[in-house]
Amino acid sequence: LFNLFRGLVGSKSLTQDLMAPILDKMRDHLIAKNVATEIAHKLCESVASKLEGKVIGTFDTIATTIRTSLNEALVQILSPKRRVDILRDCLEARKNCRPYVMTFCGVNACDTFRAGAVEQLRTHTRHLNALHPPEKHAGRIMVQLYEKGYGKDAAGIAMEAIRFAKDSGIDVVLVDTAGRMQDNEPLMRALAKLIKVNEPDLVLFVGEALVDGIVLTKFDTIDDKVGAAISMTYITGQPIVFIGTGQTYTDLKALNANAVVHALMK
Amino acid sequence: MVLADLGRKITTALHSLSKATVINEEVLNSMLKEICAALLEADVNIRLVKQLRENVRAVIDFDEMAGGLNKRRMIQSAVYKELIKLVDPSVKPYQPVKGRPNIIMFVGLQGSGKTTTCTKLAYHYQKKNWKSCLVCADTFRAGAYDQIKQNATKARIPFYGSYTEVDPVIIAQDGVEMFKKEGFEMIIVDTSGRHKQEESLFEEMLAVANAIKPDNIIFVMDATIGQACEAQARAFKEKVDIGSVIITKLDGHAKGGGALSAVAATSSPIIFIGTGEHIDDLEPFKTKPFVSKLLGMGDIEGLIDK
Ligand SMILES: Nc1nc2c(ncn2[C@@H]2O[C@H](COP(=O)(O)OP(=O)(O)OP(=O)(O)O)[C@@H](O)[C@H]2O)c(=O)[nH]1
Ligand SMILES: Nc1nc2c(ncn2[C@@H]2O[C@H](COP(=O)(O)OP(=O)(O)OP(=O)(O)O)[C@@H](O)[C@H]2O)c(=O)[nH]1
Ligand SMILES: [Mg+2]
Ligand SMILES: [Mg+2]
Repeated sequence: LFNLFRGLVGSKSLTQDLMAPILDKMRDHLIAKNVATEIAHKLCESVASKLEGKVIGTFDTIATTIRTSLNEALVQILSPKRRVDILRDCLEARKNCRPYVMTFCGVNACDTFRAGAVEQLRTHTRHLNALHPPEKHAGRIMVQLYEKGYGKDAAGIAMEAIRFAKDSGIDVVLVDTAGRMQDNEPLMRALAKLIKVNEPDLVLFVGEALVDGIVLTKFDTIDDKVGAAISMTYITGQPIVFIGTGQTYTDLKALNANAVVHALMK
Repeated sequence: MVLADLGRKITTALHSLSKATVINEEVLNSMLKEICAALLEADVNIRLVKQLRENVRAVIDFDEMAGGLNKRRMIQSAVYKELIKLVDPSVKPYQPVKGRPNIIMFVGLQGSGKTTTCTKLAYHYQKKNWKSCLVCADTFRAGAYDQIKQNATKARIPFYGSYTEVDPVIIAQDGVEMFKKEGFEMIIVDTSGRHKQEESLFEEMLAVANAIKPDNIIFVMDATIGQACEAQARAFKEKVDIGSVIITKLDGHAKGGGALSAVAATSSPIIFIGTGEHIDDLEPFKTKPFVSKLLGMGDIEGLIDK
């Protein structure tokens, strides 16, 4: 009698078969939003195994149950397990009378390789100093460029720069590196050396992973194809520390996990 | 080889046909499933993958078809044709004419590889004894002019640009004018990176194009970009008359499928692919040889156009 009653009001226990068509659709949807295929697969599988056997309530449909579960999984992926609090760590480093060192690396991102890289940073330095002139900061030059031209050993330059920063009481050293593909042996080795020799406080991967976190740029150019955020965090297990949202100096934001998931599930 | 993983997977799937004793719907479906999975993994647009599956299926009529060998060949050639359709809009690329100025304008998203590829292309033609030169009409990106200057100097390619002029239209116009007078044959104009979400940047691109009236506009696509590429490609095409496409960063582990899928949105042929950061890492692209080689079918028409 009880079973019959349950059948009547339509509550049911979820099976793989029941979920399959909806999960297939969800998976395709994620792929179309730029989530890597393998990861979309795994996500849907984990949702399926989590929901299998679950009895869903009278007013819930299978589709909404799956959606909710997928939503949760996505938000969880994007929510950092580890907080990267750069400002706090910088202050800590200052207390210890040493500069805080951040290294930026990435696929094609002290770039001593790409033509114009040094001039690019010099121009940026000039712009930043124009925005924050010494007159406004008790005569201190706020941003300095440390460069030694092209083709030199990046690890060595970074080390000199850190020493220079320490001696002149500079708070933060940002080390830009040449962009590289993972299989570009010489450049990857140079990067590994740079990191080993200089032990930066934070290594950030820009774009697209011996790293502490990720900066995902060009968020302003992708509409709702935000799946890369999921793929990157899923694969590396690293939090997205910042997202780039434009080409000016203030276009660096924290990632809003809920907003990203919302765009993904739209 | 570019996209080697994808090629290997598709070839393996096709081989399953030769291994099967009978070729029935089941065998075909499981082969198609493997191929589609490989394409999706390489980032090819899911809509196009589904279309490819339907099209191959539509070609094969199990009731009407005769022997196994025939079926095999038909299925294989259907897959081959669909792969070609994927990257080939069947439009003839612009052919530069020697002995007169050919004005080529580069456009594309930020960081897609325009400046690098400009130099590669100028170098490519210079090696073939075309009088080639570069114009830097990127007044936005910090260090843009120095980048071209250093690249061009290294390759001994004449260049034009300015540290003080802020209007890319004026630089482009002046540069093109100057090089035209000097009898250059390949005048390549580099522009700033831009994206459809910022209308003013698109207007600027149009203004440059209107001013220099390029013979060909090349859209540079980054192979690593994934699914966001298509909407951008379509928007660029709607704004200016893109005539050709170059896909960059196809070296390494690039999946490339996202960019390949976006080619259709430009209705323009891929003319070169970029396979590295050095000046000679540029390969002429031809669809059929590319797909043949991808599938290990031998270099039928000769991949390299000498
Ligand atoms: N729209 C947009 N453009 C960006 C963003 N971040 C960077 N860019 C642009 O992307 C281009 C490349 O940026 P770079 O900072 O030179 O990139 P990189 O990783 O240092 O490149 P390499 O040093 O050549 O490896 C430039 O035109 C930037 O202005 C962003 O968040 N949004
Ligand atoms: N591995 C690899 N890197 C490439 C290729 N083409 C360009 N790059 C790299 O990609 C980065 C960006 O290239 P650029 O030529 O500066 O790109 P861009 O489109 O001019 O950038 P903006 O002017 O800022 O919009 C550089 O680090 C190049 O070395 C390629 O085919 N393979
Ligand atoms: Mg850089
Ligand atoms: Mg450029």
